[in-house]
Amino acid sequence: MNRNNIFIHLALALVLVLVAAFAGQLNRWRKQMPLEVRIVPTSEKKQPTTTEEIALTENGSLGSPEVLVKFRSGVSQERIDQLTAAFHDRVEDRIENAEGWEAVDDLDNADATTVVDQYLKLPEVEDAEPNYVIKLEDFDLSESIRPSDPQFDDQWALANSGQKGGKEGADISATVAWAKTTGSDKVVVAVLDTGVDYSHEDLASNMWVRPDSLAPYHDDQLGTIDDANGFNAIDNSADPMDDNGHGTHCAGIIGAEGGNDVGIAGVNWKVQIMPLKFMNSGGFGNTKDAIEAINYVIDRKKHGVNVRIISASWGSTQKSRALGDVIRKAYENDILFVAAAGNASTNNDRQPHYPSSYDNVLSVAALDRKDQLASFSNYGVKSVAIAAPGAEILSTWLDNQYEEKSGTSMATPVVAGVAALVLAEHPRMSVADLKEKLLASTDPIVALKGKIATGGRINAAKALE
Amino acid sequence: MPNSKDDAVQQARNDLAKRLKIDAGGVKEKAVEESDFPDMALGAAEDGEMSGQMMTRGWRITLDAEGKSYEYRADKNQVRAYKFKGKNYRI
Repeated sequence: MNRNNIFIHLALALVLVLVAAFAGQLNRWRKQMPLEVRIVPTSEKKQPTTTEEIALTENGSLGSPEVLVKFRSGVSQERIDQLTAAFHDRVEDRIENAEGWEAVDDLDNADATTVVDQYLKLPEVEDAEPNYVIKLEDFDLSESIRPSDPQFDDQWALANSGQKGGKEGADISATVAWAKTTGSDKVVVAVLDTGVDYSHEDLASNMWVRPDSLAPYHDDQLGTIDDANGFNAIDNSADPMDDNGHGTHCAGIIGAEGGNDVGIAGVNWKVQIMPLKFMNSGGFGNTKDAIEAINYVIDRKKHGVNVRIISASWGSTQKSRALGDVIRKAYENDILFVAAAGNASTNNDRQPHYPSSYDNVLSVAALDRKDQLASFSNYGVKSVAIAAPGAEILSTWLDNQYEEKSGTSMATPVVAGVAALVLAEHPRMSVADLKEKLLASTDPIVALKGKIATGGRINAAKALE
Repeated sequence: MPNSKDDAVQQARNDLAKRLKIDAGGVKEKAVEESDFPDMALGAAEDGEMSGQMMTRGWRITLDAEGKSYEYRADKNQVRAYKFKGKNYRI
């Protein structure tokens, strides 16, 4: 065996070790979940099987045409690009820790084994193999894991089957997460926005209502406000009814009632949405009212309401020290502040966007249904933490309607919703641990590498491990 | 709030005339096109203003007056002067 062969074998051994480690992790997930999880090629239809089947040893054609190709030492990147272009393919990524291997995307969507054969005939290629897809199989769709909500098929963010030209699996793995929990009505999420239509047919049962045991909100300047359904900071009243639709849309993403044969499912089927209004019917508001609403949340938390998350789908490029201070205060009171990174397609590291760029805030970028950074989304490897689906998102709207909207506004409540799921499972988790847990619960996305801190899309199933 | 695109254009023309202290007849409509704006303040937030980060469909209105072009942005909820002498204004 010459020296080159030794290195090749070492590299292959390393790949196998990584695959085995991942397969072991999947097996651990399976054991932790009440329903069957197995590893399958994407093209395989559901068939009776044992839980031990692992498709890495199978040779069936794959739904994904992607292949892994190892070019011989000394073949330049320019030559590799020429060769792949000649097959109408594209190098998608170099594989770290497996020298020489490149992930190649076949743009013609040909069968993976055919593509592999093409490459193996080239003198510049040392080896090639299909890029077997390892995934948690969707659970039996006839079970309760799949909600009965009639518009669920259009909720690609929760379960992306490739509908409307999307990428299969480019979702937050909600159906897998729901095997563990669908949320808890003991977790309260504040939606700081244009208010929420708390009478919406798909939200009404998940709205926070001040318990009789809790005294009405009192502020030395504002006086006493009977906050039976939340708080309106614009007129300092007790009515946070939405007159725009934006806040209702965000609320539905977090917690539209799931499994009720109506409309859509939220990331949480059960949760308590605390509606706060500081933006008017046009969808804009001022810093002072935002601060008043956050102070309200902190007060309710101090008085025993289990409000642990503020979802903030708004912002501007103007910095306010006062707003930054009150957000820090919320964090110190164990409240996670999740905020939209902004929609200017700009780098927040260079041109900050607030409140997402403050310390103690989880800043969220938006992905489209093809797992690409949405064309409008801001980014920033230092200042934007995580990404979530945020384009063409279906959710609740005024007057019992449902609409598709786009923006980091829509990505933010996805992350806030996953945070609420985590708290449903781990009620006593600190805000620091919660933030850390979310940051460690992503699927790496090529398009996000070098763009945001985690380089990944939030994965609800991972967050519940 | 404008009732229609034409209403938005008219509100923009009147506002520009007022700001330039000229007769409204001196303000000409150069172009009106549908556009997607990055947020609910149509990418033209005033100082201290926060807005929902949802892509918002509206109209980009370009007006000419005294040999210069001015941009306004509008939707059914609002009309805004965009960077008039460096500042945004909601009218």
